Amino acid sequence: MKESRLMLVQYTTAVIAVVLVAIHLIMQGVIYPYSTAISFDNILSIYKNGFYAVFLEALLVVVLVHGFNGVRIILHEFRQTAPWSMWVDAGTVLAIVVSVAYGTRTVILAVFGVVSP
Amino acid sequence: MGTVGEERAKNKRGLQGWLNPYHYNAERWAYMFQRVTGVAILLYVLGHLGDTSFFVGGPTGTGPSTSGWSFIGSIFENSFGHLILILVVLVLFFHGVNGIRLVFSELGLIMKKPSGIEYPYKPKSLSTGQRSLIYVGIAVAVVAALWTFLVLFEGMG
Repeated sequence: MKESRLMLVQYTTAVIAVVLVAIHLIMQGVIYPYSTAISFDNILSIYKNGFYAVFLEALLVVVLVHGFNGVRIILHEFRQTAPWSMWVDAGTVLAIVVSVAYGTRTVILAVFGVVSP
Repeated sequence: MGTVGEERAKNKRGLQGWLNPYHYNAERWAYMFQRVTGVAILLYVLGHLGDTSFFVGGPTGTGPSTSGWSFIGSIFENSFGHLILILVVLVLFFHGVNGIRLVFSELGLIMKKPSGIEYPYKPKSLSTGQRSLIYVGIAVAVVAALWTFLVLFEGMG
């Protein structure tokens, strides 16, 4: 993908992340008291609500794409050789795929898994 | 006159140049902090991915687990963990507001018309409006961190 497109991705994910992270934080200490927000039952009810499960998945993808693409940009500022660029770009894609997969696993197991003590 | 490679090596300051604040203006400081806070937030997010996975029993879990969640709570739900959260909120809000400034700047919404470089070499495109957003970012970050302190230590929210 062209660098100009990737910068557009960076700015678009930034704007979306500001909105999603703001909602996420409001739910952690404004809508509910913090102690309620992090209680097992409250989190379970959030995951079981389809809307919030999709919200959390969107937050996961947007923040990780923005974060790893940001690191990619920093690394490209340090050095500009072709092999470096190739490894940095490949590493970024790999990091995004692995971390999104791990986070998605948590969401899927929380939504569909059976509660255990 | 040296070769291109020698010239490049002479002018390359690497990480030292990036972090050296000599002659930085407010925008250059914001540039540095945007990157430092960005990396810090990403590291926190990766840690947060790890700790939230204990809601489903950790890496080997199969579903929501009360014992897994209690285990991770026993590690992070203390004064040290809350202090980390306050720092995260501080850098997160600065990064967010300064990021909005960068998006507006990229779109040319808060920049003045560029002009030729002349003494005293102050960039004329940098408006006071966009610079004030840097200070707004710092103020918002401090207020958010204070709010977080009250939520975590005083039970507000």
